[in-house]
Amino acid sequence: MPEHPFSEDLVAPTELLGADAGSEAVIVAEAAAPRLPGETRRRGLGWLFWVCLAWVALLALAALLAPVLPLKAPNFQDYTAVSRGPSIHHLLGTDDLGRDLLSRIVWGSRVSLIIGFASVGIGLLVGGSFGLFAGFRGGPADSVLNAGSFVLLAFPPLLAIMVIEAFWGRTLWKLVLMFALIATPQLFRVIRATTLSFANREFVVAARTMGARTNRILLRELLPNVVPAAISFALLGVAIAIIVEGSLAFLGLSIQLPVASLGNIVNQGVQNDNLQLNPYIALWPALYIFLLLTSLNLMADRLRSRFDVRDVKL
Amino acid sequence: MGRYVVTRLVQLVAITFLISVLVFLLVHLLPGDPTLAILGPNDTPTARHELLAQLGLDKSLLQQYWIWIRNVFSGNFGKSFLTGQTVANAIAVALPIDIELIIVSQAMAVIVAVPLALLAARRPNRLLDRIATTGSFGMLSIPTFVVAVLLVLVFAVQIHAFPATGYVRFTTDPAQNLRSVVLPSIALAFGSIAVYYRLLRADLIATMQEDYITMARSKGLSTTFILVRHALRPSSFTLLAGAGISIGSLFTGAFVVEVLFQLPGLGYQLVNAIYARDYLMVQGMALVAAVGYVVINFVVDFLLTVLDPRVRRA
Amino acid sequence: MSARGRGVRVTGDDRDVDRYDRRTFLGRSAAGAAALALGGIGGPVLLSGCSSSSSASTSAKPGVGTGTPKRGGTLTVGLNSDIDGFLPSTNHFDNSGIVYANTVYDTLTAVAADGTAQPYLAQSISSNADRTVWTLSLRPDVTFHDGSALTADVVVANFRALQQSPLTGQAVKVITGVSATGPLTVQYTASEPLVAFPYYLATQVGYVVALAQLDSADPSSHPIGTGPFVFDSWEPNDHFTARRNPNYWRAGLPYLDSITYKPIAQDQSRQSSLQSGTIELMVTRDPNAIVSLQRDPSFQQVTDANPAHGQNDVGFIYLNTAVDPLSDLTVRQALACATDTAQIAKLFGAGVLQPITSPYPEGSPYRAPDNGYPSYDLAKAKTLVAQAAPRHGGTIKVELATIPDPRLSELVQAVQSMWGAAGVQATVSQIEQVTFIDNLALGSFQAYTGDQFDAADPDENYVWWSPTSAGPPGTIALNFTRNKDPELEAALQAGRTNPDPSARAQAYQQVDTLLARDLPYLWLTTNVWSMTGTDKVQNFDNPTLPGGQPARGMTAGYFTPTEFWVEP
Repeated sequence: MPEHPFSEDLVAPTELLGADAGSEAVIVAEAAAPRLPGETRRRGLGWLFWVCLAWVALLALAALLAPVLPLKAPNFQDYTAVSRGPSIHHLLGTDDLGRDLLSRIVWGSRVSLIIGFASVGIGLLVGGSFGLFAGFRGGPADSVLNAGSFVLLAFPPLLAIMVIEAFWGRTLWKLVLMFALIATPQLFRVIRATTLSFANREFVVAARTMGARTNRILLRELLPNVVPAAISFALLGVAIAIIVEGSLAFLGLSIQLPVASLGNIVNQGVQNDNLQLNPYIALWPALYIFLLLTSLNLMADRLRSRFDVRDVKL
Repeated sequence: MGRYVVTRLVQLVAITFLISVLVFLLVHLLPGDPTLAILGPNDTPTARHELLAQLGLDKSLLQQYWIWIRNVFSGNFGKSFLTGQTVANAIAVALPIDIELIIVSQAMAVIVAVPLALLAARRPNRLLDRIATTGSFGMLSIPTFVVAVLLVLVFAVQIHAFPATGYVRFTTDPAQNLRSVVLPSIALAFGSIAVYYRLLRADLIATMQEDYITMARSKGLSTTFILVRHALRPSSFTLLAGAGISIGSLFTGAFVVEVLFQLPGLGYQLVNAIYARDYLMVQGMALVAAVGYVVINFVVDFLLTVLDPRVRRA
Repeated sequence: MSARGRGVRVTGDDRDVDRYDRRTFLGRSAAGAAALALGGIGGPVLLSGCSSSSSASTSAKPGVGTGTPKRGGTLTVGLNSDIDGFLPSTNHFDNSGIVYANTVYDTLTAVAADGTAQPYLAQSISSNADRTVWTLSLRPDVTFHDGSALTADVVVANFRALQQSPLTGQAVKVITGVSATGPLTVQYTASEPLVAFPYYLATQVGYVVALAQLDSADPSSHPIGTGPFVFDSWEPNDHFTARRNPNYWRAGLPYLDSITYKPIAQDQSRQSSLQSGTIELMVTRDPNAIVSLQRDPSFQQVTDANPAHGQNDVGFIYLNTAVDPLSDLTVRQALACATDTAQIAKLFGAGVLQPITSPYPEGSPYRAPDNGYPSYDLAKAKTLVAQAAPRHGGTIKVELATIPDPRLSELVQAVQSMWGAAGVQATVSQIEQVTFIDNLALGSFQAYTGDQFDAADPDENYVWWSPTSAGPPGTIALNFTRNKDPELEAALQAGRTNPDPSARAQAYQQVDTLLARDLPYLWLTTNVWSMTGTDKVQNFDNPTLPGGQPARGMTAGYFTPTEFWVEP
């Protein structure tokens, strides 16, 4: 018999589905949907997972090793080779200032990937810890943290970024911190919701009744179950961060030019008639983002289906 | 039930208050003040002092906040420093644009996502499902401004199907009004389609495993019929939740679309006001956007609790 | 140059380039665009001035209507910005602002096609021998939109408002007295001879608004003027609409029933709006748009390139001479030598913009034959940098900034790279418009991009160039670069006060030379503005003065809509 739905410990359904603020962030909600009963629990993660992982690793490696790779200088403007298509000298062509696109994309991916992974990493660490704590503890601490996260999420992120940048600037690590500021409350909500759904499970209740200490429960029982979901969300969070960086570039709020970021390059590609004159500028980074994000999404998918033990039925 | 509503209302008030403080502080942290924007390069120190006094900006921050919030409660959001328009008026003019964009874009997303999800749920993990899933990820991977620019190039410039910019009010000309929101709504819908599709698909597949569905099947009803008649309704609650999440954040997130299509909605006006240091305008609009976000979230939560008996309990 | 003055035609040669380009390059499909991309954009489009030889085509000159004007109809125009209000003494009028103002107000004088300032709302204007006292007679029987009469008292009240406003007070400081000496006569007294005074009355300070507006509680929001159209509605950032003034003092005008302006800030969005039919006429200075619309036979286009008289908008970089390291003349010279303006014109001009070495256009009497402006010379730049660097801690560092405009953002990146080649370390940033202007006014900047200095008479730029407008950084000064050169002041004064045309020409040539020597500005390229309309829009660049004489056409992105008409 279904319990009365309006108990005071009610967790708002939208919270369970995942945090918000940013329509792209809704995909996090999707990932929270439980594994489908009937969907065979995979033994391994599938060959596609490993392909995607390899691809992401390759891209990350390229970004990391950019300084030592034999790339042309990303900011060098060669006025004899303006807006050229792919050729031997410039494998992906040049932009409208004569800069090599391959080099700019590799260096740009460095910026975008650092922003993506670092900000989500920080968010996971900070927001995740709070979420785990709040979800398990409940009570007044949870209410306060929850309300606090709501305030941060409701605040128009664009306004926050504009104000912060106005007096702080837009270097790489400052951007990472700004993104982390936005990611943290979202990850908090998501981890908290995940924790909540686990916190009442039999094994946790059992541990509690046996008198296990909070820390032990957190570490031994909850964490191993929350982590896969957390990583799944995190990967999606990286995907979102990269897209958001693109939108910021459009508004002129991303990393200071002439430093390349994937968002900056795409933005350059759709401005100044470049879509008509030199579509490669927009094409390559867009393709890069698409392949990277699809890989990340697929990986997140596989992780969820492999590790999620939740049921839909109540 | 009553307790739930009261708790939420209290939370709403508390969050709104905190947001108002945050908005106020952040706006006043911006370097520069509106005097130069208003007086131009010709102002003298005396003129500046006079203007500051006139605008009430010479008082302490606490005083200014108190005056502002007191006025807000009586419905007076103040006037724009620049244009002299009342903030309330400006919001009243800008808000319908956002509301219409949200309604139309989410409706589009649902119209596309529901049939796709139904089709995919018929045969999970088969070709159509895989294509739709990858396609939906693809839509998420393209930054909104790229989608918008491409839409304009194809549907406005090449084929004169829709206007490239501008908003016609519904009261002025309903037909033109609808035409003017089509392209921006499509751009906004892109991200949401993927989310609704995934959410609904997962929930549909799960629902299809229920006993009463098996019963229906044993009665000889076709899968499609069952999907539409029996599975869709209970699964649509997730859509509702997803919608709540999307909508709440679209208010200021639609800024990119508003700039490109020159739709003077809340996001666009807010950013312009920030640039002009039009404090009261920024405060008023940010407050409205944030409160809107919170209210929508609460409303959706409430609807879900009322409508969906499967709601979880912490 | 024909008497028509404005308007630009593509000559016969360019038609061939056109055809070739259209066939081979004008691929609107992605495939075509890709092909275009591989080859780079087609050859330069020459926008020459009006040639007196008639063209082979029988089509009318763009912007000039043929046949009888049609009364009635509406027009939607896309402008590049909105304004913040309609009061000339308190609101900022950029080019769009002037368009709005020209729609609902009239100026006391207007510039004719031959470059002179002629009476417009005023019936006549005269001065005493030494140009210190100017007398204006107004037209009789002119009424404002609210029915009140145009009298000398109203004009005086308007001027008082200008004097009292902190925004415009500086510009009219030189006028010490204004009074109504008759019901329709106004007398202005200046503290020094003002040869170019009639030109002032053709700018922002020459608009006349009704007393009811001046006295109202909110004078900026509802314009009441004598102009061709009556204000109907204004929604900021959305649209502005005005309807025909049935009692306009110019008989038979305007032709249109109503006109609507839509501010569309993004260049590309504005162009798309025109191409998709959302607007029927647009203003732009985006060279790519100018080129692609020039090639499109479904549009008519005029530009303000190669003006016959006066100065156009030019693109340059402000160098703040009051701060380190730009206070060092050697550094400024090095920067000038390091900037390859020809390359900049190539990269960003789409063949439309020309590199410049002077604010005065070719053929202007005020342009010095050889002003000595440093030409591009990388080797010399490096030498100068090496010379100056020790004085500035070993490396010369400059902060270069612009507004968040896509084209300007690319421009500063190119300039940064060019300066870098000479050994100057430049950083690049984008600063939003309001802060940008604030910084310029306060002198808290090093090198900022600029687009300015259009003027019908060179004296209009006095307030921007004069050392008397320069104050130390931290105080507001209109001479943003704070260049204090007593020789420059002397030359500017000579031009301002000496009525003899050849003496004036000499004086301003001296100004040209001194600016090239002092280098407060790094001249980059011309700015070309265009007006492009569909075939429906007629006569959008053929303005006349009340007597029938042709008026100056569209310049620097502003125009007067009085004589436009539309084909049904």
